[in-house]
Amino acid sequence: MSLTITCPICGKRNGYEFRYGGEDKEKRPEEDMFTSRAWCSYVHMNKSVAGTQKEWWCHKDGCGAWFAIYRDTTTNLEVSDPNEDGSKAKA
Amino acid sequence: MNRLRHLPTLRIRPEDEISIHFRGKIYKGVAGDTIATLLFANGIRIFSRSLKYHRPRGLYSLEGECSNTFMQVDGIPNVCTEKTLARSGMIVKAQNVVGSPEYDLMGFMDKLSWTMPAGFYYWLFHKPAAIWPLAIKQIRKAAGIGNLSPSFEMKGRYDENYLNADVCIIGGGPAGMCAALAASEHDLRVILLESRPWLGGFFDYRSADYTEDLALYERARALANQVEQTSSVRVFKHTSMIGAYNNNLITAFQQGTENDNFTERYIEIRAESVVVATGCIERPLLFENNEKPGVMQVACAHRLARTHGLMVGMAAVFSIGHDLGLEAAIDLHDLGLNVLCVADVRENGQESKLIAKLQERKIPILKGWVAEKAHGGKCLNGVTLTKIAETQKQKFNCDTLVASAGLTPLTGPLALAGATLAYDDHTGFFLPDKLPNKIYTAGRMLGLSDAFAIETSGELAGLRAAADCGTSLKHEIDAAEKELHALPGPVKGSQFVTATRGGKKTFVCFDEDTTLKHINQALELGFDGPELIKRFTSGGTGPGQGGIPGHNLPLYVRQLQDADNKTVKPTNVRPPLASTFLATYAGGGHVMSKHTPVHSSQVKAGGKMERIGVWYRARRFSEDKSAREEIVNVRNNVGLLDASSLGKFRIHGPDALNALQRVYVGDMSKMAPGKVKYTAMCNEDGCIIDDGVVIQDGKNDYYFTTSTNRAGKTVEWIRYHTRYDGWDFHLINLTDAFGVINLAGPNARKVLQKITDADISNDVFPFTGCQELMIESTIPVRAMRLGFVGELSYELHVSSSFMQAVWDLLKENGEEFGIMNFGLEAQNCLRMEKGHLIIGSESEQRTTLHDVGLGHLWFQQKPEAKTVGAFALKETETQKGRLKLVGIKMDDSSRTPKEGSIIVDEKIRGYVCTARYSNSVAESIGMALVEDHLSIPGTHLKIFEDNLGDQRLSATVVTMPFYDPEGKRMKI
Ligand SMILES: [Zn+2]
Repeated sequence: MSLTITCPICGKRNGYEFRYGGEDKEKRPEEDMFTSRAWCSYVHMNKSVAGTQKEWWCHKDGCGAWFAIYRDTTTNLEVSDPNEDGSKAKA
Repeated sequence: MNRLRHLPTLRIRPEDEISIHFRGKIYKGVAGDTIATLLFANGIRIFSRSLKYHRPRGLYSLEGECSNTFMQVDGIPNVCTEKTLARSGMIVKAQNVVGSPEYDLMGFMDKLSWTMPAGFYYWLFHKPAAIWPLAIKQIRKAAGIGNLSPSFEMKGRYDENYLNADVCIIGGGPAGMCAALAASEHDLRVILLESRPWLGGFFDYRSADYTEDLALYERARALANQVEQTSSVRVFKHTSMIGAYNNNLITAFQQGTENDNFTERYIEIRAESVVVATGCIERPLLFENNEKPGVMQVACAHRLARTHGLMVGMAAVFSIGHDLGLEAAIDLHDLGLNVLCVADVRENGQESKLIAKLQERKIPILKGWVAEKAHGGKCLNGVTLTKIAETQKQKFNCDTLVASAGLTPLTGPLALAGATLAYDDHTGFFLPDKLPNKIYTAGRMLGLSDAFAIETSGELAGLRAAADCGTSLKHEIDAAEKELHALPGPVKGSQFVTATRGGKKTFVCFDEDTTLKHINQALELGFDGPELIKRFTSGGTGPGQGGIPGHNLPLYVRQLQDADNKTVKPTNVRPPLASTFLATYAGGGHVMSKHTPVHSSQVKAGGKMERIGVWYRARRFSEDKSAREEIVNVRNNVGLLDASSLGKFRIHGPDALNALQRVYVGDMSKMAPGKVKYTAMCNEDGCIIDDGVVIQDGKNDYYFTTSTNRAGKTVEWIRYHTRYDGWDFHLINLTDAFGVINLAGPNARKVLQKITDADISNDVFPFTGCQELMIESTIPVRAMRLGFVGELSYELHVSSSFMQAVWDLLKENGEEFGIMNFGLEAQNCLRMEKGHLIIGSESEQRTTLHDVGLGHLWFQQKPEAKTVGAFALKETETQKGRLKLVGIKMDDSSRTPKEGSIIVDEKIRGYVCTARYSNSVAESIGMALVEDHLSIPGTHLKIFEDNLGDQRLSATVVTMPFYDPEGKRMKI
């Protein structure tokens, strides 16, 4: 409950205002290429990393936007994009 | 009792009398009294009996550090009466007594204490095993404090507050106030929390000098004034911090005063930075009978007099370990207390001015002496002092023993915030070793004692916290650091814990009746760490949350083990730090619901309103639960239903079609002008989640409806499933902007034609058509011909502001055609007769589009849009063993099964979704989800119901619709 999330439109807001949309699993794959098991994995399986993960959130009680953030699951704090250099720290 | 009425430090209003009920009598006090001080003023010395031994307990700390003064107030058990302000009319009862606190029939338990060594319930009662259930019964009866009546209903108003701040300061003493003022000077929003009903901390009750011409209490009140007049500082008094979480989230609760509109409120603060200035509590002195009524801490005795105007007793002995004890002895002596003697555990280090004042007053001071044993029956009548590490003793007759080993910082809030604490040899305190980011401490809890140093440390912490909010304050911080450096630093604290190692009745924890003997037993049994000993002896697990034993327990253990000071840690604390009502956490229980634009006319027409999702809707308009008259009228004449809760949306923009293709199973690119398209949405598992109609208003501009249930989720759903695509479309929720009227029945056209000039003949406006009509040449209405209830019907989408007008026009003009309102019950039966499903009623989480027979809605050739659920629809299309939706007809038409009844043979095979007696077909019919091998028409089903014994209801699977199978009536 102590989570705050930075909405790209509204800025840093109380975590209560957002809905979790799951881990980032990248773009919907081409369905034709998939076995049912692989499709099921895409839809239902999670990595559940202990550490930084990219994940989706919806600003449901705000602007309604869906966006991805990075969160350290061990501290439950939003962190900056680990792929960028640390200059753009958020939290 | 005579009050000390004219002390300038008082926090009571002696002229305002109040009274409370206790033991069948009325007890009088004054405004500002807590329940405990009011009772104390009336001579009550024993407030409760202890948990295990039923020992009498009295006022000890005034800070809620133990359960001594927990009582039942207005039916609520375990109210901390020393911190709860008394209000006239309160009904107060003692707890954990059989009889009264003075004459507790369970008092003999104290004599039996030898039968209850540490953890006795772990090692007794398990042999033989049969004794255990009996023992549980008895222990449960004896254990726990307070009783809650099962029929008790919590009264009051419980509020919640969610706040943002730049700097949050915990503790409204001198350090906290100075921190608030320092931070507020830099344009920051500051929140200050104080657990007492006033600001001032430990300055508030002291008449000692701040400067030569200003007393400490005057200084505190001046600071408090300044803080309360600073608009950027929001002060919460009578507010206890209860939790700290990462990201500097602070939780607290506030007790309301008589002038507040809440009983208690929960407060949650998100702060950029935090200053903890919670000061110190006293370290309890451990000696035999150290909790006997009459024994109390220094600040308790001092504040009773200075804050509440109550002299603690007639004759007192002091056994203390800190200068505040000397100061209190002098001050209380001057206020009229007979101070027999002051024993100070310290051999030296006392402030010389205080020693001189004691000598002036001829109060004997014994340095290096300490209380060894308190005497007396229920209350104190004497004390034996002893010289530390020697055999010399002195006995005094007294009714009060002011006892305290020294000070100890209130570290709970810091520990919750994630600070690590380490024992400091100089102060004897647990000091923060490592502070988390953006958290600072100030004041007495750092070991400071000088008033100026305390204030300056507060200022410094306030500046540092302000700097975290983006202000550059390097210069100010440097200056404050320099200033603090020049002032007296942390004072040497008392290292002392206890003089004796024995102590059958030397209590480390009052709440749980844990004695030194129990700790010795635990150590002997091999429990070597304070956390383990805490669990085994339960010392520190009570409502006081480690206030009394929190630091003493680990220090005593260390003393016995001769362990390294560096490794000793206070025992863990957990939120809530102060006891809080569950009602406070629950908050107001706000009921949030919506009314349709014609709500009041539904109520006026006798509608039985029910909450459906967020809406209030009419179930029926008569006492008849089957709503038969309404049903018959729709079939024969015409009816009117308020369907405003339907979800209504517009989607437009270059990629609007792509978005619709993504979420709807149908092909949305093929839409005939002037026609509606019925379609459905599935989730990724191919399970049906919504159905509705879509209308194309223009190129890439669509209007669509969703079920009531999905209205709130649709925007989120569509945006979620297009989140990677970067598509350009606008999605507008029009649910509240438009109302919907369903005008249904063979006379529907006649009614509508009376109020519009448009040609609405079947040729021009046929079934599944859609038109914009003008009502009375004024009101534009979007009309669709749909057939949910199976009759000629018009679904009219009307701007909310015109809803009532259109509704009234239809009612008025429909009178000659027998128009009547119908509600959800009628609609449910009518649509069931048509075999039309309601999602969530005839489907569940695992029901696919195929299972409900709507597989034909799925358009398989949509490669680009990648329809949500399409992959699973492919997979499940021919899957065996699924539950399928079927129509059922009861063999006995007079027997309608209950909804949810299970369909069985030797196993459960499905269940009944909806069932009604249908007047239209004169049968009991319904819809059920059954295993696919039972879904063939003609199959006999057995339905289980309660109270039927071995009997089963029997039904037959039939094809749907039950009514008007060719669907002629909705197309006329
Ligand atoms: Zn937003």
